[in-house]
Amino acid sequence: MSADTMFIVLRFGLAVAIIAVGLFAYWLFNQRLLGRAQNQALALVGVLPNKPMIVYFTTPDCAPCKTIQRPALSKLMSLTGDSVQVVEIDATQRPDLAKRWGVMSVPTTFLLDARGEARYVNNGVTRVEKLMEQLQTFSDFEI
Amino acid sequence: MTSQTLQKVDHSALKANQLFIISLNIIAFILGLPVIAAFVALMMGIGSALKTPGFGFIYKSILKPQGWMKPDVLDDNPEPHRFAQFVGFLFMTGGSVALFAGSAVLGWTLVWIVVALAALNAFGGFCVGCAMYYWFARLNVPGFGKQPPVGTFPGMKPKAGANV
Repeated sequence: MSADTMFIVLRFGLAVAIIAVGLFAYWLFNQRLLGRAQNQALALVGVLPNKPMIVYFTTPDCAPCKTIQRPALSKLMSLTGDSVQVVEIDATQRPDLAKRWGVMSVPTTFLLDARGEARYVNNGVTRVEKLMEQLQTFSDFEI
Repeated sequence: MTSQTLQKVDHSALKANQLFIISLNIIAFILGLPVIAAFVALMMGIGSALKTPGFGFIYKSILKPQGWMKPDVLDDNPEPHRFAQFVGFLFMTGGSVALFAGSAVLGWTLVWIVVALAALNAFGGFCVGCAMYYWFARLNVPGFGKQPPVGTFPGMKPKAGANV
């Protein structure tokens, strides 16, 4: 291996390591959000107990929410039937809830299992395939 | 927070700019080419002078027309974002000068700080330069007159509709 190639490989490794540290910090941030979301579901009005839930924070003028996130959730609902409940929260109408859940931007989706334990948080647009993948890791999820 | 006139700011253009800054700087680091970092600094400087995102022209001419990125227009203050880009430009210029002067550690550290802050903005929705701007405004520093949109934490991306 030439010195130039070695240099690039080392730099690449270093760049990957730095990015990994950043991703780890992001993971820690998400863990903090999930920690805040624990037991918050019970405070939501109209929530059915013992049923997996997606808590979806949005706002009226959020373009990606309208064009991508809401259609993705609609599709998910059609695929899962009544196996999952989706709770949509307008962060402009309920800033108290957005603050309590630690929502920093929209769309944000939290996935909670049937016991009300927050298992995943997605900051930004999340496609139906990923939501489905996350739901399928729930032991209590059945279509 | 007082009432104020907000403008339409396309956050997708800002995000595209940040993604180019991140990508080019990482490529510069891996290949050990300070000239790429200097190019990023130059583009950010031009962007600051023209009051537009440095790589925003790529978004406008390619990414948006092709439908690869959808507009995300929010009511926001453009000034803090310009200030953030200017701060990034200063860091990139400092980093590039250090790299050409032979101070690799200092130079790449400054470049990686820009990468980290751009990533925080692009993926986390938090603009540190904007937060700095609003902090200066709170301290009544001349030239920093805007307040964050109502209901928005200083530096955070506004929740659409929160201020209309």
